This record gives sequence, C-alpha cells and structure tokens, in this order.
Amino acid sequence: MTEKSMTQKNRLQDGGRIDRSKVLAFTYNGKKYTGFEGDTLASALLANGVDIIGRSFKYSRPRGIVAAGAEEPNAIMQIGSTEATQIPNVRATQQSLYSGLVAGSTNGWPSVDNDLMGLVGKVGGKMMPPGFYYKTFMYPKSMWETYESYIRKAAGLGRAPKENDPDIYDKMNQHCDVIIVGAGPAGLAAALTAARAGARVIIADEQNEFGGSLLSSKELLGGKPAAEWVADVVKELSTYDDVLMLPNSQVNGYHDHNFLTIQQHCTDQFADRAPNGQVAQRYHRVRAKWVVLATGAHERPLVYGNNDVPGCMVANAVSTYINRYGVVPGKNLVLMTSNDNAYRTALDWHDAGRNVVAIVDSRKNPHGTFVDAARDRGISIIVGSGVIEAHGSKRVSGVSIAPLNDAGDAVVGPIIKMAADTVATSGGWSPVIHLSCHTGARPVWNEEILGFTPGATYQKQLTAGAINGAFSTAQALSEGVKAASDALSQLGLAKSDVVLPETEVIEEGKAMALFHIPHTKPTSKAPKQFVDYQNDVTASGIELACREGFESIEHVKRYTAMGFGTDQGKLGNINGMAIAAKMLNQTIPQTGTTIFRPNYTPVTFGAIAGRDCGALFDPERYTAMHAWHVEHGAKFEDVGQWKRAWYYPKGNETMQQALDRECLATRKSVGILDASTLGKIDIQGKDAREFLGRVYTNAWAKLPVGKCRYGLMCGEDGMVFDDGVTSCLAENHFLMTTTSGGAARVLSWLEIYHQTEWPELEVYFNSVTDHWSTMTISGPNSRKLLEKLTDSDVSKENMAFMDWKPMTVAGVPARVFRISFTGELSFEINVQANYGLHVWKALFEKGAEFNLTPYGTETMHILRAEKGFIIAGQDTDGSVHPFDLGMSWAVSMQKPFSFIGKRGMQREDCVRENRKQLVGLKTLDPKAVLPEGAQGVLDPKAPIPMPMVGHVTSSYWSANLNRSVAMGFVKGGLDKMGERVFYPLADGRVIEAEICSPVFLDPKGERQNV
Amino acid sequence: MSDVTVEAMEGKLVTNQLPTGAIVGESPLHHSDLASIAKKGPQQGGVHFHERKLKGLLTLRCAPSAEQLSLIESLLGVALPMEPLTSVTTDAVSVRWMSPDEWLIIVAGEKAFELETRFQEKLIGHYALVNISGGTTIFDVSGSHVVDMLKKSTPVDLHPSEFPVGKVVSTVFAKSGATICRLADDKFELVVRRSFADYLWLWIQDASREYGLVVKA
Repeated sequence: MTEKSMTQKNRLQDGGRIDRSKVLAFTYNGKKYTGFEGDTLASALLANGVDIIGRSFKYSRPRGIVAAGAEEPNAIMQIGSTEATQIPNVRATQQSLYSGLVAGSTNGWPSVDNDLMGLVGKVGGKMMPPGFYYKTFMYPKSMWETYESYIRKAAGLGRAPKENDPDIYDKMNQHCDVIIVGAGPAGLAAALTAARAGARVIIADEQNEFGGSLLSSKELLGGKPAAEWVADVVKELSTYDDVLMLPNSQVNGYHDHNFLTIQQHCTDQFADRAPNGQVAQRYHRVRAKWVVLATGAHERPLVYGNNDVPGCMVANAVSTYINRYGVVPGKNLVLMTSNDNAYRTALDWHDAGRNVVAIVDSRKNPHGTFVDAARDRGISIIVGSGVIEAHGSKRVSGVSIAPLNDAGDAVVGPIIKMAADTVATSGGWSPVIHLSCHTGARPVWNEEILGFTPGATYQKQLTAGAINGAFSTAQALSEGVKAASDALSQLGLAKSDVVLPETEVIEEGKAMALFHIPHTKPTSKAPKQFVDYQNDVTASGIELACREGFESIEHVKRYTAMGFGTDQGKLGNINGMAIAAKMLNQTIPQTGTTIFRPNYTPVTFGAIAGRDCGALFDPERYTAMHAWHVEHGAKFEDVGQWKRAWYYPKGNETMQQALDRECLATRKSVGILDASTLGKIDIQGKDAREFLGRVYTNAWAKLPVGKCRYGLMCGEDGMVFDDGVTSCLAENHFLMTTTSGGAARVLSWLEIYHQTEWPELEVYFNSVTDHWSTMTISGPNSRKLLEKLTDSDVSKENMAFMDWKPMTVAGVPARVFRISFTGELSFEINVQANYGLHVWKALFEKGAEFNLTPYGTETMHILRAEKGFIIAGQDTDGSVHPFDLGMSWAVSMQKPFSFIGKRGMQREDCVRENRKQLVGLKTLDPKAVLPEGAQGVLDPKAPIPMPMVGHVTSSYWSANLNRSVAMGFVKGGLDKMGERVFYPLADGRVIEAEICSPVFLDPKGERQNV
Repeated sequence: MSDVTVEAMEGKLVTNQLPTGAIVGESPLHHSDLASIAKKGPQQGGVHFHERKLKGLLTLRCAPSAEQLSLIESLLGVALPMEPLTSVTTDAVSVRWMSPDEWLIIVAGEKAFELETRFQEKLIGHYALVNISGGTTIFDVSGSHVVDMLKKSTPVDLHPSEFPVGKVVSTVFAKSGATICRLADDKFELVVRRSFADYLWLWIQDASREYGLVVKA
C-alpha cells in the first residue's frame, strides 16, 4: 500500500472498477484528499472516511452521503477551483473525480463540521415548521425580506460564479429512430436489438460508463461477470455508424412530440476547465421517432428516527460503493429491510471482510436465495423487527431495534440497543418514472411491486426493465429486447436476433409493504424521522399537514416542500405519500401521487444558453455600407436586429453638437443617410394595384408609372400600424417600402390577406429589402451632387417631386426616387447592394465641395419632426387612426372595394368628440425641450390626480429653428389650435406649450418642390 | 442612358442592375477579406468554408400551368423541380424548390438579367421573377465535420436517409435562417440573406472551431 492510499481508510485492497495505479488528488472544503481514477467524488469522500458533507436546509443537522446516483439528496456540491469555473448544485455521486478537483459543501456555512448555524438552526427549525412559506407570505412583505436573506444563507442553494465562465457550452440537434434512456441491462439489450436492425439509435446514460446496475452487481451473465457482457455490448454498439452513445449524459427533459433534452458532460467530468477550448457541456436537442425509457429504479430507504445521521444509507448504495468503487463506508453494519433483495448488501459487506452486526427484517419469516446465503455466512437475522432509531450525532454510533406488529405500524416489544456505525435500509424499489411524467402521464400504483409505474401516454414511448417493476436482470434484459422490437415493428424495420445471456436463478420471498418505522413515542414526539432529506421534510411534518386539513397530495407537497427543487422527490416521495395515506386512512393509490417536471437534475445555465451569448447573442444585421459607418466613427442604434448609424460625432463633439451640425449641414447644403434598412417589397401581377388599394387607406387606381405615393396601412380596427412610400415601376409592378422594423410584419400581413381573403387576386409579393442599398441625399445641393454622378436629367422639369427614374449613378444602374422625409429636395438612390458601398463612396468623393455630411437616425428624426412627419410606432401606438393623426388626406372613402380598417375607423368610438389627436407643441420657452412621454394637462393647478389629455410623442432640439419642436397627443387637439397645454414634470418644472400645426418648418413645402 | 434597359412588356419592369466596366461588386462578406484568411489561415480542418459570391439569384413565384411549365423549362434549360424539397443542378443553372409556388434560381452573376429578359419576353400568364442577387449570398460548407457543424446550427435532420444529395430546405439557422441544399455527402450550400451574412459567418466560425475551419478563396 502506498502512503496515499493508506489515507483512504475505507478503501478495499482490490475489486471495483477503479484504477488504483492512477491516484487523483482533490480538495474538499479546503482539505486535500486522494482518490482513484474511476471514483466519483462521493466514493472518494467515503473512501477517505468523510462522514459529513453538508448541513441540512432547515434544521442544520449534519448530513452524510445516502445514495450513489442521481437520487442523492445531501451531497450537493459547489465545484470549481477558480471563481470563474464555479458550478453549483452538483451531486457528488454524479461527479467523476479528476485530478485537481476542488469541491465544497453548498450547505453548512461556514463549516460543516462545526456549524455556527447549528444552534441558530434549531431555532430556525422551530421558526420554519411545514407551511412556513405560506404562513410567512401572509405577513407583511417586510417580514418576508427579513426571513428571505436568512433562509437563503442557510438553505445552501449554491452560488453562481461572479466572473464570466470561460468554458464553451453548446447545443446540438439530434434525430433518431429510437432513443434509449438508460444504459443498464434493459437499455443495453434494447440498444443492441435496435442497432442490429439498422435503426438510428441514441443511447444516453448519466453515468461515466454504460452498464447501470450491472456495474455494481456480482451477478453472472452467461457464466461470466456481468461487466464482461456490458463490455461486449458496448464494443458492438460502437461499430454502428448510426448509433450515438452518450455516457455522462443526463436526459433531463422529455417534452411533447418526443422531443428530449440531454445535458452531456464533455470535459467537466474530468477537468475544472475545458482544455484547448473544447466544449465543456453539450446540450442535445433530440427528436426521436420512438422513446424507450429504461431508467431503472431507485431503492427506497425506510423512515425511522434520526435516519439522517451520517452513516444511514440506502442499502443498494452501500453495495455499489463496495462492488464498483472498492469502498466500504464503515466497519459495523446494521441492515434493515422489508425484502430479500437488500440482503445482498449484507453479503457484500460481509464478503468485504467487515462486520455485519445484524440484519433486521420486518418480516416474521423471510426465506429465499439471499436469506439462505446470509444464514450460511452466519449473519445474525432479527426477524419481525425494525430499527426504530439511530444514535449518534456526526456519525451513527448504534441503533435501537424493536419488534413490530404484523402491519408494521406499532412497536410490540422491548428495545434492544446495538453498536454500529452504518445503517443500510431498504423499503423496496421505486421505478424512476420522472421522465414519463414530464409529458403529462399520471403514474399508476402497482401493488405487486409496491411502487408507481408509468401511466398511459400519448407519446410514442415504450418502457423496459425496472421502470416497469421488472427488477430482475433476466426480466430487464428481455423487456429491453421486447421494447426495441416493438419500436422496430412500428418503424417498419425488420426484427433482429439478439440472444440474451443466461442469468442466475434467484428465489425471492415476498416483500412487505413498509415505509415508516413506528417508534415507541408518537411520530410528533419521536426523534425526527426524515422523509425528504433535501427539504428537511419529516414524517411528523406530513402528519401535521394532514391534521391541518391538507388532503390532496399536491397540497401536502406544497405545504411541506416535499419533493421540491432539485430533489424532485427521488428518494422520499413514495414514503411521504404512504405516510399521508396512513394519516388519511386511505390507500396509496387513493392518495395519489404528485408528478414530476423537467429537469430531472439541475442543468447549468451555460448549457441552456449554449453559444447564444456574447457576439452571437442575437443577430446583428448590417447594410452594405456598415464598414464605412464604423470607420467614420458612427454611433449605432438598434432598430429591430439592424445596426443603424445613429449619429457621427467628430472629435470631442457631444451628441447634441453632432446632431446640430448634421441638421444644419443638411438643410444648408446636403446630407446623406443610409436608408437601406427600409423594408422593400416587390409587388407584381395584374391585380397588384387593386391589392394596394385594399391594404392602404388611400387610392392607388390612378398612380401613373414613374410616380410614388405615400400610404398608411391600418389594421382591421382602423388603427395605423405601418406607413411608407410605394412606387409604380410599371403598370403591374410596384415597389412598396415599409418601416425598418415593420418589414417582416408587413410582408406577412400582405401574404395573409392574399392567401386567406383574396386568393383570386393575381399578385405576388417578394422581399427585396436586402437586395437594394438605399442612400438618401437631402438638402438644397442634393441635385447638384447627383448631377455630378449621372448623365440623366434630374431637373425639376424632368424629375419632379414624387417621381422616380432609372438612371446610372457613379457607373451603377440605379433607381432614383424623388421622395423626402426631411422636407428638403431629396433623392433616394437605390442600387444593387453589392454596389452600395461603391456608390456611397463615390457620392463622398464628389460631395466634398458641398460639405456632404453623413447623418444618422437621430438627425433623420429631428429633420422629419421639424416637418411634422410621423414615425409609425413612435407617433402611433396602435390606438390611433389616420384622422387622429390629422391625415384625413391619406384616406379615400370613395374606393369601390373597401380597404382594411375602413369599418374600424368608423366605429362609434373612433368618430366621437375629444379623441386624442396629434398636434404640434410649441413651448413658450423656445429653449425648453419637452421630454417624450410627458403627460399634458389643461389646468396645471388642478388637484392631483390631474386629468391628463395626452402625451408627447416626439420632441427634439432643432438647430435649424433654434428652438424646440415637438408633437404629441392632445384630446380634441385639432380643434384647439393656439390654446395652451401644460406639462408638469417629475422635477417640479411645468413646461407650457401652445398647440399648433406639427409642421414647424416650411409649411408650404417650398424646399422640397424645387 | 445607353446602359440602362427598361422593358415594360407585360406591365413589369426589368432592368439590368449590374454596372458595365471595371466596377467590382462587393459581396456581403467583402469586409471579412476571406481571400487573405484563405491564404494565411489553416489549410486542414474538418469544416471548409467558401463564399460563392456575386452569383445571380432570382426568386420565381408561379403556380404553373402545363404551358407555363414547358415554357419555363425551355427558358431555364431544366424542368422546374415540382417535388417538394428537391432541386436540380446543372453547370449553368440550379433550381431549388422553395414552396409550392416558389423556386430559387441560381445562375452566374452576369446571367441574371439575361434570364429576366428571356422570361419577360417569353413567359405568359401570372408569375413573378424577382432578382435578389444583391440581397443574398451563398456559403458552401463542406468537410468531414460539416454535418456536426450544421447540427449545432439547424434543427433539420441531416442524416443521408432523410436529407439526401439534392434535397433543399429553408429553415432556421442559428437565430437566422438559410436555404440549405446538400450538394454532396459532405458538402452543403447555404443561401443566406445579405444583412445576416456577417452574423452567420461568425456563427459558423464558432461552431467549426473544435473541428478546425479552412477558408477557401
């Protein structure tokens, strides 16, 4: 023995699936330990004799490792050697040991061995009886906040890292014919059957290697150790291209339509941080034609006094630690059981050379293969009895054993005390039905196996093995073959031949239905009998809940917190239901069961987020000129997913200084805007014109080729939802523009109406948003600039306002539209987007002499507000119709066919007096800029709450006018021109404004009609 | 105006959108300078990436009558694939089924206008042929791990039994979309929108990292 392994006082010299030549050093709660390759963190801790791995949630009692798998309720760890690599809530039983692993208890601040909370915690226990949360919520909120910080600290929920996680987590989509969940005997047999038939198979298991129960079993398969059969099957499966084997992979969610989510631990099972940029965890999104659940079963512990003292364990877990990890977690064992199966733990313990103090069997007359084997070894069997109480505080020191009556609900004789350091118990096995419940199936009680099995499902789902209560290896194997064969025949695939290995013949006597061991004292006075360790739910707590009138098991669950959170009732649920059933004088099926939701075990946020983080968090859409904007120092604004240039500060300019400069330069000479993000829809067909007339509020019948027209689009309710200019390219061909954010919605809107209402109209719609780069030059010198780049005649005579012409600009074929959102002489130049940057740059080459100034969305907003032009979505909010906007000129009630919104805008409410109407707002103090969103009142002295008449929708400083400009809604505003409205602000100021036309600049439109 | 052609037959506008002469188009990934990456970057890896840029891409919308079908076949040189999710590819033209009344046509960049003109002259009845060359680009992705990269990006089943060579789907790709066509066992064509191209290129680089990414000029 090396010195290192000598410190592993509970490690056996040989046996198990660990590699004793590979010593792994790790740190737990600041102390250094060693284990071996093949260990879990839990088996390594037990090997080192670490008894206490945390403090309990409510009572702060020391807790030890109870189980060996996903059902472990206590050993919930914080893993990570650096701040950035912290992972909370990892079960020590599911974490492979690796060199350098750093783990700490999540419970038990500040030290699990000497917990300051120990004393406080006892007070806490009394402060937090069952129903604590509900009772507390009834008190004032301030009380809850006081409790909450205290509970959080004590509850040990683990903590998130404070630094960015450097690891990569990603997602992968998978498809298969059959997914097999669980790679125990049933799962492996199913996988082999499906694989041989040529099916596409995924088999996933949470353990680091396939085999399930066979890895810790001494059974022989085909005369050889079971693990050899496992190795053969795994080897064969790995030869099939269409079989995906996922060890270290927890199937955490089973969703509708056979969609399953799997968290695969890729590197975090062997490294604190993924080496070489590898993926640490991968989240598989699986769509399976058939699902075979072979999830096995969890052994149920029995509920008895002080059953949470470290050293109290589930029987099969003890066997697993001995057989799989070569660890005997104690010296003197007492086994309490209600069935034959658990006798194996006593045999394993005995065969490992340790002392079995006694087997305490609740049955009067046990008999069977394992019972005989125990007798052969001379192990003392105390029949018709139970362990009513464990003794000790930080580790079991002994037990009290007492005879029980036939029903197992009363102590009927004198207590014997025995010394022991380990109590292993078994109340039978609970099928792992969690996943089957995720899709809504209600579990069904099976009296034969004393457990719930999966209920009827609408999913294409099959189950095999212990999940069905088929607990023997022989049954599990044959059910696996059968489930896979059923799936194959449903899939229309040929059957395959699988010859199963011969299994040992084992006779087992009948098990006794036993859950809760009685004490000499009533449950409420007896030492605490824990049902749900993780949530500190006791038998007396459940009885209290029933006494307080909670009869539904769902209410009992919520009242006590049984099966809450990450635990999901894996160990305790059935025991809790049995205790509630007894209290309520019902059977378990009458009491019913709670069901389970995803996730089966906690999933890291990293796995859920995947690669949708950082630069990839959300798509950023760029125009063809984006690189130019970046080079020229633009600040960007998000418009939908587009990144639009917002403004272009020069030197040390403030935002307002930049905007003033951009605004003045545009009105004085010429500015340029990248308008490529405008939605553009190509509309063709002989009925295109008719269609436009039905979706826009105004008339389109007579728009000539070569002309453009502004239009408003309304919903059926008559409310404006988008606007834009549509141009007639040819008699049956139009180009519609939409707002940047509304493009997709408008295209869908057109398609919906075409496909559902007017399919007889011959028209097609196609998005050409990305195809055209759009740049608007605006300002008195825009024509001069354009003339330098085109041979075409762009004079007023040849190209009037609202005309469009094809022409060549800077050598590139272009469509140029004389439309204006600034009120200036403007040309909107559209070129095929692969030439957008070329033309943009050419404009700047020729534009230098005109001081061509790029401007962004903010200057665009100011310039249009000076002209009183609305922005759909800013000056509209889905509650205003064209008349509210003062845009009756854009509505034609004379069109022969109706148009969308026509009836809506004529509803009684839409034509009533005193609707909120959009008007200009001229502050009396020209320097005062109204905040957008400010609410107006007519009488600033009115008592609070003042009657509000509408809000400011657009408001800017106008450098051109050297004053503020604003638009907003005022009740009956169109009839209140010249009247005053007041805006009381949060800072105490009251800004007074005159109601006016929203057109602040050039009301006659002389600047654009040149 | 000699280089601008306006044809308004059938009441629709067809114009040449490409400049003549020395003006070179800039594809959506122009700013990434893939040519330099191709030279300096790794030459071996599990995923190969190539921007097949400046092609002619056109959307055809039509619910074709028998007469239209035969006219379209003569105009394209191939028959329209009528079977959903199928495509045809020849040296001169690729046609991708997009929806029951929609096809994507890919030709050489300078051939798009020619094709539009031919349709304008010959095809009768109700249809729309829309040039989307500037709004679209093509990513060719290939290599031994190309399917793994795609499995990270799209929920569609890429197994050869479900997604044989020639199949085409328009679907989710990361948080954007793509029209995916399998060109060979380990080669796929992704047709993506210009404005999303940079995001998708970033995504593909990221998803390929563990396999090694080779950029092809």
